[in-house]
Formats: sequence, C-alpha cells, structure tokens
Amino acid sequence: MSDLFMVPWSDYQSELIDALGRTLLYTVVSFAGAVVLGLGVALLRLNRAWPARAIATVYTEVFKNVPLLAIIFLTYFGLASAGIRLDVFTAGALSLIVFYAAYLSETFRSAISGVHAGQTEAGEALGLGRAGIFGHIVVPQALRLALPGTNTFLVDLLKSTSLLVTISAAELMSEGRLITSATFRALEVYIVISAIYFALCYPLSQLLLWLERKVRAGDPLSPWRRRRMQAARALLAQDTSPGDTSPADVGLREAAA
Amino acid sequence: MTQPVTEAKETKASPEPVIRISGLRKSFDGRLVLDDVHLEVGRGRIVSVIGQSGGGKSTLMRCVNLLERPDRGMVEVAGEVVHDDGHMVCRDLPRLRRTVGMVFQRFHLFPHLTAVENVVLAQRRAGVPEQEALERAVALLRRVGVAHRGLAQPEQLSGGEQQRVAIARALALKPEVLLFDEPTSSLDPEATREVLSVMRELAADGMTMMLVTHELPFAREVSDHVVFVDGGRIVEEGHPDDVLGSPAQPRTREFLASYGSTS
Repeated sequence: MSDLFMVPWSDYQSELIDALGRTLLYTVVSFAGAVVLGLGVALLRLNRAWPARAIATVYTEVFKNVPLLAIIFLTYFGLASAGIRLDVFTAGALSLIVFYAAYLSETFRSAISGVHAGQTEAGEALGLGRAGIFGHIVVPQALRLALPGTNTFLVDLLKSTSLLVTISAAELMSEGRLITSATFRALEVYIVISAIYFALCYPLSQLLLWLERKVRAGDPLSPWRRRRMQAARALLAQDTSPGDTSPADVGLREAAA
Repeated sequence: MTQPVTEAKETKASPEPVIRISGLRKSFDGRLVLDDVHLEVGRGRIVSVIGQSGGGKSTLMRCVNLLERPDRGMVEVAGEVVHDDGHMVCRDLPRLRRTVGMVFQRFHLFPHLTAVENVVLAQRRAGVPEQEALERAVALLRRVGVAHRGLAQPEQLSGGEQQRVAIARALALKPEVLLFDEPTSSLDPEATREVLSVMRELAADGMTMMLVTHELPFAREVSDHVVFVDGGRIVEEGHPDDVLGSPAQPRTREFLASYGSTS
C-alpha cells in the first residue's frame, strides 16, 4: 500500500496550484459567458418574430447535438486551418461557452415561460413598464425555476474543463498528464487529480443546493432586501394596540374626496 | 381657500364619471364578446356587473385599464380619453394603470415577495421613496387586517389573506377607482366573508369601485348601480333593488332564477 504513493508531490505543488487556478478560471469565464449567451438565445426563442426564433432554435439544436470534444477540436484546430488562430484559452473558453449556452438557453426558456401569465398581467395592472415587469417580476421567479438546472450545468462545466487536456490547456487534467509522463505513475496521479476534482465539485454542488433552498424559502439574499425586511419588521411591530381598528389614514379618503 | 368648498359642492350635486365607456365593442378571433356597451361609474359610486360566465363581464372590466384593447368605442378614465374607436389614445399607459387599481379572481400575488413587499413594489417603481412606501404598505396591510402576516410569503397565506393583500396592493398607488374581477370566486365561504367585509369598508370610505361578481346579495347591498350583461350586451341596468329585486327583462329573471336554484 505504501508504494502506491511514490510521486514527489511537493515538487509539483506550485504547478498543481497554477493548474487548479486555470481550471477555476475556465469555469468562471465560460460559465459567465454561457449564462449571458444562453439568456440571449432564450430571449430570441421567446421572441414574437419567427426569424429570431428560427435562428435560436437552429443554434440550440446544433450545439446540443454535437459532442463538446468535437467543438473543442473545431474551434482550436479547425478554425486554425482556416486561418483563424485562437489562443488556447480563447478557443477552450469559447467551446465551453457555445456548448453550455445551448443547454442553458433551454433551461432559461422553460423557466421564463413557466412564470404564470397572470404575473405579467398583475404587473401591468400596477402600472409597471416592460422593463419593470421583466426585471422585478419575471426574472426573480424564473431564477427560482432555473436555479436547479443551471446549478447542475455549472458543476458539469467544471468537470468538462478536463476535456481541454486535448488542446493542452494547462488546467488540472493537462498537469496530471505532464506529471504522469515524468513519473510513469498513472494510477497514483489520476487518483490524486480525480480527488481534486471531487474536492471542488462536491462542496460546490452542496453550496448550490443550499442556495436553492434559501431562494425557494424566499430568504433575502441581497443586503438591500435584508434592510427592507428589517425596516418592514420594525414598522409591523410598532403600534399594534387594540385601538388600531379605526380606519387608518392611508389615503382612501383623499382618493374618494 | 374657497376652492375645496366649490369642489365639494360639485361632487355632491352629480358625481363626475371616473369611468365612461360608450359604444364598446370587442371580439376575440372573430367571436363578438362585447357589443355596443355603454357604462358610467361616477366618483364614489359602486357599480356591479353581473351575468353568466363567459358573458363578457370580465372583458368589459379589462377594457377599462386596457388589459384588453377594444375594437370600437370610447373608454374614458378620470376625465381622459384613453382609447377611441380602436385606437390607443393614452400616451402614458403606466400612469393610466396607476389610476385604476385591479384585484383579480386568482389574486396573482408575486410569489417571490413577502406580503409587505407585494404592496411596496409598484410604489417604488412609481418613484415613492423607500420609507414612505414601506409605511404606506404596512398601514394598508393593517387596514385590510393582515398586518400580522406582513412578512409571510403568499404561499403561506390562506386564500382570504392573499386576496386582502392583493386589495392592499391595488390601493397602494392611491387609485381613483378599484376594479374587482370576481374577487371571491376562488374563495371558501369564510374567506369570502373576510374579503367582502374589507370591500364593505372601502365602500363606506367612499371608494369608487367597479365589481364583477357572482355574490348577488353583496352586490345588492353595496352597489349604487347594477348592470346585467348577457351575450356581450347590457340587457338591463339600474338600481340594485330594481334589477335584482324586480327585473323587467325576462332574460334577467331567468338568470336570477337559475342563480337562486343553484345557490
């Protein structure tokens, strides 16, 4: 058992930390890009104009039905042979963005259309404009619906950065391959690399589950909303004497006058 | 200084209409839902619209704040023509809708916000300062008797509580008229009593209201005017005691008779 771990890991410490940072950088940049692009595609699919819907549908179907590895090869090797040379990071991040945007757009689209039509109507009846209805009524509710699916894709994306080993992206998996070729201890190296992925993904998914529960329970997450709730609590607590039954002056009479 | 006196005099003499609808026509996919409807709701008055489901009552009400766009006819709200002969005249739709509060059959509270935030949201969007909006929201929740549930999410509230929060929300922007679209049709008898008692208080406060309802005894009790709509037309209208007590039209009698036998 003791001869299972024979790689001098302390020699590779700084390389591994760099690789870990690179994996996280790919994850953050690609996920942010995929969310933005996915939202754009989802909005196109919900657009009234059919050409917009058609473009979005073709996009989604193409990138959902082509393997991620093929997309990586196309953006890095394929485009290069056509004269468009992207550096490794750009090609890698772009591949992850276009691939995950296709899936996220489906999640976002169903979440947005899952918000009851009566909600938009209630917003309209309250005199909210289109931006107000979208930003304050549709998006927060769609977010609740989209969160579980989106979170799954975030963890999936983090794991998929390992495919970038094929274009030597200097992330964790690439570093594992380098250490293996230097030490010839594939089992030990890949056990350690897998353990690092697990140590990243497991806490991340637990954190996201916790977030989902918070959001579903309606707990205030932003500081300004927390402040508002505190102020509301203070107002609700004061002056609840029995003499409160008289009609409060809340503008009913002035409206009627 | 003398101005308020003259104003008061005017309102006493004959209330100017807050809502004026004339020659209204509306169809959905070629099916005529409303035809040549005329209706006025004077300031401080309560007008109830009754009739069978699918008879066009709700559509009529939804034409007031232009949730539905009429095909023909004129809609005037608070002295301003907002829709004329199939054309939108209203330049500021959000402002019109802040003048007209609406309460829906299925409440449509915002499920991601607490009760108090439901009442705050539109005020903030209309530019009311935070503290003022909160104070008003709390005062309104007290007014409708749900202040103790102010920090609850809508799904934690009973139907009656939800509808009362919805009424507070509709009142938040100090509308000139409140529209009630079958406000008790999704409620059990106990919750119906709660909501009707809030509406009764609003009526006593002089709130102008237009009400689509199946609660005929309530309509008779609070309304100044009752309109019976059937097949997209106003069949009969007048004082509640006349329309509901001794209707002139056979169709109205038929409707009331079927109502008596089912309830």
